[in-house]
Amino acid sequence: MTHPVRFGALVTSVAQARRAEELGYDLVAVPHAPDDGDDWTLLTWIAGQTEKVGLVATGLDVARGEPAVLGRAAASLDLLSGGRLELALTGAHLDEVTGIVRGVLDAGETGPLRFLGEHHRVPKAQRGPLPAHRIPIWLTGNDQQSVRLAGRLADAWVADLERITADELATAYKQLEAAATEAGRDPEEIRRVLIVGPGLSPAELTALGADTFLVRAAELPGLSAWETLRDATGPIIFRPSSVRAKRRPGIDYDGVPAGLASTAVEPGDLDYARVRSTYMRGGAPGLVLRPRTTSEVVDALAFVRRHPDLPFGLRSAGHGVSGRSTNDGGIVVSLAAMTTIEVLDESRRLIRVGPGARWTDVAQAIHPYGWALSSGDYGGVGVGGLATAGGVGWLARKHGLTIDHLVAVEMVLADGSVVRASDSENADLFWAVRGAGANFGVVTSFEFEAYDVGDVGFAQLVVAADDPADLLVKWGRAIEEAPRDVSGQLIMGPPRPGQPVFAQLMAVVDNDDPETIIEQLQPIAAIAPLYQQNVVLTPYTGVISNAAEGGYHQGAGEPVSRSGLIEHLTPEFARAAVELLASGAVHWFQIRTVGGAVADVPAEQTAYAHRSANFSVIVMGSSKQRVDAAWAPLTAHFDGLYLSFETDLSPERVEDAFPPRTLARLRELKHRYDPDNLFRDNFNIKAATR
Amino acid sequence: MTDYGHELLFGTFITPTAQPVHQAVELAVVADRAGLDLATFQDHPYLPKFHDTWTLITYAAARTSRIRLSGNVLSLPLRQPAVLARSHASLDRLTGGRIELGLGAGAFWDGIEAMGARRLTPGQAVSALGEAIRVIRAVWDADRPGPVSVHGEFYQAEGLKRGPAPAHDMSIWVGAYKPRMLRLIGRAADGVLPSLSYLEGGPGDYATINEHIDDSARESGRDPARVRRLLNINGTFSQFGRSFLNGPAEQWAEDLAGLALEHGISTFILATDDPATIEEYAAEVAPAVRELVAAERP
Repeated sequence: MTHPVRFGALVTSVAQARRAEELGYDLVAVPHAPDDGDDWTLLTWIAGQTEKVGLVATGLDVARGEPAVLGRAAASLDLLSGGRLELALTGAHLDEVTGIVRGVLDAGETGPLRFLGEHHRVPKAQRGPLPAHRIPIWLTGNDQQSVRLAGRLADAWVADLERITADELATAYKQLEAAATEAGRDPEEIRRVLIVGPGLSPAELTALGADTFLVRAAELPGLSAWETLRDATGPIIFRPSSVRAKRRPGIDYDGVPAGLASTAVEPGDLDYARVRSTYMRGGAPGLVLRPRTTSEVVDALAFVRRHPDLPFGLRSAGHGVSGRSTNDGGIVVSLAAMTTIEVLDESRRLIRVGPGARWTDVAQAIHPYGWALSSGDYGGVGVGGLATAGGVGWLARKHGLTIDHLVAVEMVLADGSVVRASDSENADLFWAVRGAGANFGVVTSFEFEAYDVGDVGFAQLVVAADDPADLLVKWGRAIEEAPRDVSGQLIMGPPRPGQPVFAQLMAVVDNDDPETIIEQLQPIAAIAPLYQQNVVLTPYTGVISNAAEGGYHQGAGEPVSRSGLIEHLTPEFARAAVELLASGAVHWFQIRTVGGAVADVPAEQTAYAHRSANFSVIVMGSSKQRVDAAWAPLTAHFDGLYLSFETDLSPERVEDAFPPRTLARLRELKHRYDPDNLFRDNFNIKAATR
Repeated sequence: MTDYGHELLFGTFITPTAQPVHQAVELAVVADRAGLDLATFQDHPYLPKFHDTWTLITYAAARTSRIRLSGNVLSLPLRQPAVLARSHASLDRLTGGRIELGLGAGAFWDGIEAMGARRLTPGQAVSALGEAIRVIRAVWDADRPGPVSVHGEFYQAEGLKRGPAPAHDMSIWVGAYKPRMLRLIGRAADGVLPSLSYLEGGPGDYATINEHIDDSARESGRDPARVRRLLNINGTFSQFGRSFLNGPAEQWAEDLAGLALEHGISTFILATDDPATIEEYAAEVAPAVRELVAAERP
């Protein structure tokens, strides 16, 4: 039998449902609410007062409302209950209703749902919300037509032993199988649900041929008498043929290691919509592995090693602009489940963080200790990608890059070995991880030394940019002259006809004295007339808690982004930048401050080596050709780039990112740690040849 | 001065966002613990960014212990009157009488039509709402002999079984602004529920709302005081008073007490998804308004 045997209890009150949950039943089924009440309401009420038991209302009449609304309600209850809903439908025109409900639930499909049936018409409904799991749809009815419909469409067919004999049941199962086969389905896909009395032995139940037994009993029996049936079949991941049909070539889906199989996502799975794309990039990977532990990362990499010709993306939270953390037809290893944040040693402010945690979560977790850790400028960014590249954040001039506070990592190397790297263990690897980590392995935990940060000043100013070149030069000078407390950024857009030109200036002042904050901001605010100003005193969490909560990435297309590091914003650079803006090729132009403490670290100390820069320049546009052409005149002004904001895959960009001596050492280390180039999909460092 | 003598109620208007999944439920729990009287949720079944409102209300009811809940307001064109009646009665029985029925005639017809329901003119929508109220009350009237019999233009309920009856005398509150709907409320509903942000002339427009309802109620032989006057409000707590419902809690209290005494508004539902604002509204504003109004009432 394909499906593990399950036991459910027919219940009509929350007390009975809780009792069933206590007894270990897999499901509670509401046959009808008492006193002609509403079944859906009772089921939802039960959902709110139980924790883990599956939920189904077996007599839900689809005449209760528009099928599209029923689909939304099902998605809501599944989400609220943590993926516990199964949806049994009764009534008329169930083929159409099932089509509409599934169409609403298939939120990953593109375009609105259009369903023009004979009895139900849905002209153009938006799909979703995406439920927590693929909600199985049950159909009922003992007549041949109903059974055949279930065989064609349903995920389960329900019968009641009070209304059908064992012989009739056997016939019905044959009809079910035949209808499924005719419809091109594997008959094994359809669960057989049977409502039974309490007294049957395991042998009697087995003889009936069902896999889900809903027990009707005034006093609910314990499950011990039937435990053997459940033990005989372990939990398995079941994917119907419609899901398997969406698999991509060249991937050994059935060879996914057992521990990873339960969380792996493939293109036909419901969760695929949640994991296929990243913040800025649309993707269609063939398989997403979601390890939860270091040993599962080891297994995942072993699986990837067996697929050397496929794209391989590594993802922490999927925010990356440059990072190829999704792909088309390849494998993605998502570390999103590895989100541990723990304090290791309070006296040293030592914390250990998983690669899938987001920086807003890190900030929230360490705020109670009075600590902070500068990351990027957005809290939704994941730890892993940023902390293996650099980390140019809101406190950079005062406290340096994020990697400057990294003291050790645990990582899985290309050969599957798990190593620790720090200044005293595998020091060369530790050097490489801090700037070029994506080429060397999967970091499974980061140990950082945080620092004390009190309230900070956070300023958001809008200033006139009638002479944008002059503004850039003045802002650059004001930043360079500012105390290290001040870090920040400047954002400008392309000029728009008939509208005043302005720039957004943002700054964080790491100082909790309001007067000092204003004093330090004054020279920056004075560079041009102010249109708007907003300065607040806030904990660091108030600056970085800007990430959207809930939801999932739905990026589309490919971002086009270029990066350059520059020491001073000279008049020549400023003129070139203004021409770039005027070209209309970029819709995003941002300069972030580095320098200060970033430059205190000797260039040879980490693989991130362009330490002398005071500014990091970022542009984004939609046409690679146009952006590259507009960007070219600026490149003479740059000394290096920051990989996290670069999307150009030319090998020269690797040379821009790492100065010659750094790159030579990286190539030597690549030869040692990843000679077969497993970690290849993001600014690949070619191993030194011997 | 208008005062219908209703007990004052304070509630929240919580966005039924589907992401994060439990945000709306958690805010209802905050409102419950803070001591507010009502948690209410808008209903736009054509928008997948929101939870199904009835499912959310039921789940939130299961996670709270004291607060009353309602739609604000449920979209009638996408909800069957008999199902509304039975589902509300069921939940009212399960919660021991914590449920009220907030109902609207339908606002965004493009969305309603996109889901498969029929587009109605404003006049038709008023008639449909009137018929729906008859169906709902007939279903709730469980002790009356014989089945439900409503022959409407929009709803036919012939031979429909009655029951269950709600656990308490459940109110039907209707979202309304225009004369026809207001007159229907005067005849047949238990409350009017507009949003302050949609009153073009500001709170002063409530005088016209009352006039239509009161006239219609009297014409049909009802006491106007049987219709509760509710209002959805927006506001900001700030240190120094700047404008209506923008200032410290004491200023809010004066603003709201003014509305209660001037227009007889007795239910103030604050739109916010911020737990601290909910708590401040419950702890600082609600008792102060009650005190100010009590001092003025005879």
